Amino acid sequence: MGEGKALTPVEYLDRFFDELRDEVRSNPKLAERLVKALGGEVVFDDDAKAEIANPFALATGSKAKFLSVFSSMKAGDIRKILKENNLATRIDMAGKSTDQLVEMMYNRAAMKVQERKSVF
Amino acid sequence: MPALTAAIANLKGGVGKSTTTVMLADGLAHYYGMNVLVIDLDPQANSSQMLLTEQGVQAASDQGKGVHHVLTHFMAGKPPSAAPFIMPNAVTLEELRRAEEQDAREGWISSLPAHPQLRLLELNLEEEWYSRSGTPTTLSESLGKFFREAFEPLQSLYDVILLDCPPHLSPLARAGLSLADVFVTPTIADSVSTWGTKQFSDWVGKFIAPDLAKRNFVVITRFRDTKYARSVASDLREIYLKDRWFGPTIPESVHVLNAMERAAPDSYDTFRGKYAGVTGDVRRLAERFTDFMTQRTGVTWAKVRH
Repeated sequence: MGEGKALTPVEYLDRFFDELRDEVRSNPKLAERLVKALGGEVVFDDDAKAEIANPFALATGSKAKFLSVFSSMKAGDIRKILKENNLATRIDMAGKSTDQLVEMMYNRAAMKVQERKSVF
Repeated sequence: MPALTAAIANLKGGVGKSTTTVMLADGLAHYYGMNVLVIDLDPQANSSQMLLTEQGVQAASDQGKGVHHVLTHFMAGKPPSAAPFIMPNAVTLEELRRAEEQDAREGWISSLPAHPQLRLLELNLEEEWYSRSGTPTTLSESLGKFFREAFEPLQSLYDVILLDCPPHLSPLARAGLSLADVFVTPTIADSVSTWGTKQFSDWVGKFIAPDLAKRNFVVITRFRDTKYARSVASDLREIYLKDRWFGPTIPESVHVLNAMERAAPDSYDTFRGKYAGVTGDVRRLAERFTDFMTQRTGVTWAKVRH
């Protein structure tokens, strides 16, 4: 595993952070978790938001913020999020417009949060 | 410094309450040299069995040790007392046993075990109490008062008292919860456990600890590393149980299930031998819980073993 060359502590750290930076660039979910762990607010980039936007987390805030994140997404991405988060089946989604899908996502995610979030 | 009393509890069954209790007891005694008392309030007696073996639980009962004997005292109207019913040695770790043998005790585990008989006694007590127009609430309050007085002399003998609670709210379970300074909530990263945990959290918050969020330490157990489980675990931390203390996520481990079965009352294993692949997880559980204790009590703890 080693390359046979001793590195200084700073060089080791540089390598570590380079690896971390590369991973964060290519892995938006890890990037989101790291930013949250550091107490920062995640800004949803258009390309990445379909992959990282969490309907339950967003349903704890205002409906306007929820809609601002999901309404601009493609119908395919919304369907994928609904399915992956167990918020709708194919039958539930059939024949619905993008707006109806987003509305359904908000209502169901908000209901789940109410069912699962401790009030204390 | 009085002992910190922690109730390991959740209304959802099968989330690893007893395993978490034993892991905490072992971790705190081994790494920090704490003197730990495990009180098993669950008639299933799982943590008692893990610490003492089935034969040991029966032998303890035959010697007059166990929570059911404390309950018999309560039913007979005798003065509150718990110390005579404790098994002073419930150590399964070779390191602790060897240190004790060399008169250098650094960490110890005692047990006030449960026994399946406990549930029958509880039923008798409830029947008798209700026949005299008592209610479940007055019974749990009366039991709570009795236990508080019975455990008072133990406060200076132990660093931490772990109450392994059953997955229901019987008067005995409610009495136990009322004694707790803090609540350890094991849960599993799935939707039914999340829902059960919310029910428990809301009940405790409403009836026992309105400041639950500050007194709650959550442990995600039996974790299978799947996309779904990662997503539920993340939602537990960030949405459903936000602002609670979280311990490390303990992976599902066949080895741990086997290790929790003690071979015989005189069988010991090293910490690494017992926990093998999850040794680091149990160490982190002890470290994180000790940080939580320090935040609650202001007392700092140094490691006695690494």
